[in-house]
Amino acid sequence: MNQIWNIFRKDTRHLRIEIAASLAFLVAFVWFDIRSWNGINFATGAAAALSFFLTAEALPSLVNALLPISWIFLIVRVIQSESLVGDRQFWVTRPYDWKQLLTAKALFVLAFINLPLFCADAFLLAGAGFHPTHYVAGLLWMQLLWIVLLFLLIATLASVTRNIPQMLLLVLFVVLYMIGSSALSSMVRKSDLSGGVDWWDGLLLIVVAITIILMQYSRRKTALSRWLMVGVCAFLTVAAVVTQLIPSDRSRIAREYPSSSGTPPVELGLIRSESEGNYTPVYDHEVSFVLPLNVSGVPKDSFLTLDGIIVTLANANGLHWDSEWQGNAQSFFPDQKTAHVAFRIKQDIFDQLKSGPVNARLLLAFTLYRETNQQTFVVPAGEFQMPEMGRCTTETQYSRGIRCLTPMRRPGHLLVTSETASSTCPLGNAETPAQHGVFARATVRGGPGPAEMGISPVHQVDISLSEWDWSMQRPTNPGVCPGTPLILSNPEVAGRRSLELQLDNLSLEDYRERLQTAR
Amino acid sequence: MTFAIQTDTLVKKFRRVEALQGLTMTVPQGAVYALVGPNGAGKTTAIKILMNIIHSTSGRAEVLGIDSHRVRGQFFESIGYVSENQELPEWMTLRTLLSYLRPFYPAWDTKLEAELIRQFELPTDRKLRNLSRGMRMKASLASSLAYHPKLIVLDEPFTGLDPLVRDELIQGLLDRAEESTIFISSHDLGEIETFASHVAYLEEGRLRFSEEMNSLIDRFREVELTFDTPPTMPQKTPQTWLQMNVSATVVRFIDSGFDSQRTRADVKELFGEPRNMTFSPMSLRSIFLAMAKSARGLA
Repeated sequence: MNQIWNIFRKDTRHLRIEIAASLAFLVAFVWFDIRSWNGINFATGAAAALSFFLTAEALPSLVNALLPISWIFLIVRVIQSESLVGDRQFWVTRPYDWKQLLTAKALFVLAFINLPLFCADAFLLAGAGFHPTHYVAGLLWMQLLWIVLLFLLIATLASVTRNIPQMLLLVLFVVLYMIGSSALSSMVRKSDLSGGVDWWDGLLLIVVAITIILMQYSRRKTALSRWLMVGVCAFLTVAAVVTQLIPSDRSRIAREYPSSSGTPPVELGLIRSESEGNYTPVYDHEVSFVLPLNVSGVPKDSFLTLDGIIVTLANANGLHWDSEWQGNAQSFFPDQKTAHVAFRIKQDIFDQLKSGPVNARLLLAFTLYRETNQQTFVVPAGEFQMPEMGRCTTETQYSRGIRCLTPMRRPGHLLVTSETASSTCPLGNAETPAQHGVFARATVRGGPGPAEMGISPVHQVDISLSEWDWSMQRPTNPGVCPGTPLILSNPEVAGRRSLELQLDNLSLEDYRERLQTAR
Repeated sequence: MTFAIQTDTLVKKFRRVEALQGLTMTVPQGAVYALVGPNGAGKTTAIKILMNIIHSTSGRAEVLGIDSHRVRGQFFESIGYVSENQELPEWMTLRTLLSYLRPFYPAWDTKLEAELIRQFELPTDRKLRNLSRGMRMKASLASSLAYHPKLIVLDEPFTGLDPLVRDELIQGLLDRAEESTIFISSHDLGEIETFASHVAYLEEGRLRFSEEMNSLIDRFREVELTFDTPPTMPQKTPQTWLQMNVSATVVRFIDSGFDSQRTRADVKELFGEPRNMTFSPMSLRSIFLAMAKSARGLA
């Protein structure tokens, strides 16, 4: 304990300027964050004085970036104060106990990064009108996320480098590795379907990071630690490439999205169309298509999301083509009459198929949601508490939506529905009254856990309800104003299903995506 | 007899370079043991292995009765290590360094600390980065002596220092010699000769010899033989005779196994009775020069 305190005091004294800078950035962050809730123009006050070289908007963004950088710098500096690399450091021949040394370094990070951040977050919560003592678990969770997702990895890199230039070089290598790995992965990628093993990658990285730190502190086996890092990176790259190469889309869909037996989750029918306008440009040798579909049969108090689609095309000449999984984000609600499903075809395939009719088979994978905890909420005037959201106000100037300050995290899954005809917002000059039976929706989705990763525990969430008006080719936004009734619900996954849609004698040319022109 | 340091066929390879080629040596407790040898001989490598800074490729070493692989942490409460290559925390003043190190050592002697600062005339309020090389070496030594270490290990402590600073360092060491074993690597033979009790010679990773200083000085003599007529050179001479040199009626050589009676007898047998025979004692420097030259000659 004596040694821990001794090393801690020495590091505090040595790095007092870095500590002060980091705390200054934190104070600036808190100041800017509070001002941003109130919609204060940053061109006033202190920011105005700096506006000769910084734009008003750039200053908070700069502080947002500099604060984590100052933490990174502080972690690197404190670890490299007793460098674990090399054979000339004075401390290696002094009676340091490695466990106490490591504890002293951890204590330093907790004292000068985590504790100030914790206090700042508690202050922000209080400033936003939320009592910090109600959110202690969330605040601690945020600290844990920072430790696991950033501090641990930075500490690992710092433990295998001798000084700041070496560290920067290693960071450069890591960035190049990530770019290269991502490029390689996208080169071999055939499908939008996620490998589904991302959490394994994360867990592996955390375990390796902890192993390297312990190994460096207990034995200073730098070469071995560096090889371990290289090995893990190589393993992850190979694993990512191999995962992409395995053509498992259909079997995975069959496993995760069983085909509908009995009542289908939704009934779909093609709307034959011969639309006009210029085609959207070919991107990455792929041609885009949009199929307009009639929609019916979505159960009441439920909705579906189309997660992905596999397209099979065949023509009279015997040409047969299967797409890989193509991600989608289309939702189907009970009141919805039509939907537009998009997919892509390789340019060379399209060139062979475009001259004549084709038979298309679409394998559509859906997630079925059931709306639970449905409640009607009439928007009050002024500031109000909205269930699951926190402190909210209506925003009438720009989006005609709701702006909320939400503590710790966004709701897990909140669906906000409003019948456009029941909007209490005054109509604009060019606007016509909305029809009954048309609904506008907005979804708010938060991450898992008691808090989301971030510097501030107070999230600004804007809820803007809009509905795409296909007849007018533009979004409709009747707006939410005081007195507008909203239906709030928490959608829960009720199952996953797949559906096959057979479309014969299709002229692909008719369904090519066209550039939209606002009317 | 107990040993402060023992090594057994220690080998260290850096890729293809073999820095140590089976080093076996013993340092008696209480000795002032000097490991000498030219640059690149493997002295620093040997010390780093002993201090567990690097690991040997094969062989084993013991320091104060403990395997060198286990020399870490608390064990350094008994060892004072000073090296010319050591990186000190340069942002600290000497006062800060000493007050930082104090809690690490239960046996830290504040009185001795003050005495060392006074003896070495160290400025305590100046940052280490602003100290001269000699001052830094003295500061490093002071910080390694103040806790009465059982073993003091010094790696080339005199390199690049002026004679006055060397004297101060040596005096500081000698004052501690009674309570500690001192293991020092150096190629400064003149200084070593004045205070080392044992000396070992390391060359190209191999230990050429290791013995007490007095015995070494005693067994080396410069021998000069003067004859009335040019002597006939014998076909074979004793192995201990190095650098045989004949000039007209004078024969000179170095006897590395000098024994007055035996050397006289050998001379008489090989050359006959010389008109004059002198045996001159040699300095450590002359002995090592002779050793190095004869080793090169053999090579």
